[in-house]
Amino acid sequence: MTIQINKIVVNFILIFSFGLSLPCSAETINAAAIIKAAMDQWRGTTSHSTMSMTIHRPDWERTMIMDAWTAGEKKSLVRVLEPKKDAGNGSLLIDNNMWSFSPKVNRVIKIPSSMMNQSWMGSDFSNKDVARSADIINQYIHTLIKTDSIEGHKVYTIQSIPKEDAPIVWGKEVLRIRDDFVMLEHTFYDQDMKEIKRMLTSKIGMMGGRMVAMQQRMAKLETQNEYTEIKILTAKFDIKIQDSIFTLSNLRNPRF
Amino acid sequence: MSIVLRLAWRNLWRNRRRTWLTAGAIAFSTILLVGWVPIQFGAYDIMINATLRVFPGHAQIQRPGYQDKQKIRNTINNAESLATSLRGSNPLYTGISVRAQGFVLLSSGTRSYGAQVVGVEPKHEGGTSSIPGQVKEGRYLSSIDAQEIVIGRALARNLKLKVGDEVTLLGGGKDGSVAAAILPVVGIFKSGSNDLDRFFSEIPLHTFQNIFSMGSSAHTIVIVGKSVDEQTKLISALNNAISDRSDVIVLGWEALIPGMKEAIKIDKVSGFIFLGILIAIVIFSILNTFLMSILERTREFGLMLALGSRPKRIAGLMMLESALLTMIGLVIGFVIGTALVYWAHVEGMHYPGVEELAEQFNLPDMSRIYPQMKIFNFLLGPITIFVATNIAAWIPILRIRKLEPVEAMRTI
Repeated sequence: MTIQINKIVVNFILIFSFGLSLPCSAETINAAAIIKAAMDQWRGTTSHSTMSMTIHRPDWERTMIMDAWTAGEKKSLVRVLEPKKDAGNGSLLIDNNMWSFSPKVNRVIKIPSSMMNQSWMGSDFSNKDVARSADIINQYIHTLIKTDSIEGHKVYTIQSIPKEDAPIVWGKEVLRIRDDFVMLEHTFYDQDMKEIKRMLTSKIGMMGGRMVAMQQRMAKLETQNEYTEIKILTAKFDIKIQDSIFTLSNLRNPRF
Repeated sequence: MSIVLRLAWRNLWRNRRRTWLTAGAIAFSTILLVGWVPIQFGAYDIMINATLRVFPGHAQIQRPGYQDKQKIRNTINNAESLATSLRGSNPLYTGISVRAQGFVLLSSGTRSYGAQVVGVEPKHEGGTSSIPGQVKEGRYLSSIDAQEIVIGRALARNLKLKVGDEVTLLGGGKDGSVAAAILPVVGIFKSGSNDLDRFFSEIPLHTFQNIFSMGSSAHTIVIVGKSVDEQTKLISALNNAISDRSDVIVLGWEALIPGMKEAIKIDKVSGFIFLGILIAIVIFSILNTFLMSILERTREFGLMLALGSRPKRIAGLMMLESALLTMIGLVIGFVIGTALVYWAHVEGMHYPGVEELAEQFNLPDMSRIYPQMKIFNFLLGPITIFVATNIAAWIPILRIRKLEPVEAMRTI
């Protein structure tokens, strides 16, 4: 579960990279460009944020508060602040390699790739989500299927279908991205093109000088009363982050 | 009546060779049938018992829904006290143990593997699982709160662990918190099931409850009965015993391992097809013998009819001959067959292909099959042959009714 929770966080950070508003002024927009622009914009930036994650089940709920740093899309570090019991647990993600640290055993553990690829047990996120953000540009064919406007914003609906040889479990993904590059909705379809799960943005606001999806919820379509919700509490962007933050020794002995 | 019996008996031995050949065919099929069914059912017994004894047990008490989705939060409260109240309450239970289960990442050095970790009561686990007896290196868990772990051999190899080395456990607790611990490996087991050896580890129950923030709760209470035959009694006894606990349910092995029941069903069908073919061959051979014997004795029947015997009486005579002939074959076959099965039952028997079966059904030591000694299994074959041959005998006998005495006497 730790691993899973850590993964979920990493997933979110990566997924979030779409949700953050980007100062893009591109006028002529095609589907791939919307996503590519978003990715390129994000890749160059760094971030430091505090977020809460609530895992909700009908009979159970748990909220964690976490500190997260990212640099580009390939590096991220997440550390649990609350609850106290789990404070200090962290994970580091570099490319698709993931390490986990638990102060209880004072050890860094490399998460094997077999477990990275495993579908995430009982959760609203799959581990493929980790790979997804890195793959989304190259491994998919994007089509702009609809443009409409909501509350004065243009909203692009993009259908992304994995290329034939791409190692993607989904049949397709449909993203709804606002013209200020806040992602409103991200739906995952299985190979039979049946909707499986959806991430919905429920709150958008300014944070760290950007328009940000402040609250997002991921739930399976069949079990809407089981979801995982992320709220951004504070966020700073384009700050200076030392590269040494994304190291195993920093994972083990926090200096930041 | 006695004269008919005497006639029938004498007639049988007028052509000794034919009688012996037919009786021999019947005897041989009887041996096969008497042997086959008990061996088949004996094999099922072994499969079921051995599989259930490795880990699942004959029945388990769980929370509803746990079997389908093994969520760590779906726990039985005060599991140990429930198990204690069950122990000794009924002679049907030969072993009862409490378990808690979780999925963790086991890690040693730079290597990590996903594995199932089970919290067990070291004192009682031996009564419900064969794993404690299959520790090949080191020893089994010593006490219910010892800080130690036993793991499967393949898992140990993958993690490059020896007895005495430490392994790191990382998983999620019942409250969603991080469950982590470092435990020394005290034993390495080889259960015979590749899956278990590659994917399985056990730690003491209280240690598990501490690491996974479980309090006094657990996931399953495993019950082993005397044998699979008493399954129905076992289940109803358990259901009675837990009637005051509305939060738990009893699941029998059929629900715990649904695949095994299906496999046995398929195997039974193929077994019965084999038996059907065997019986059909016997029936045709009997039919042939009787047809020959009636054709051969047309003259004799003509004479009897001329002397005033009614066709019915002759038919009765023939039926009796058929019954006697079948009985001779059956008795011989039954005696030899039973003796062989009894010998196999005592000694156990080895037959080729058993290793593959063992693999298929996750069996540890199934090198020998002990046929099931049960009256039903023994009598099923012989009774089928007896009924079938006597029905078959009717077909030629019906010819007798059409015989004309004068014409019949003229045939050679």
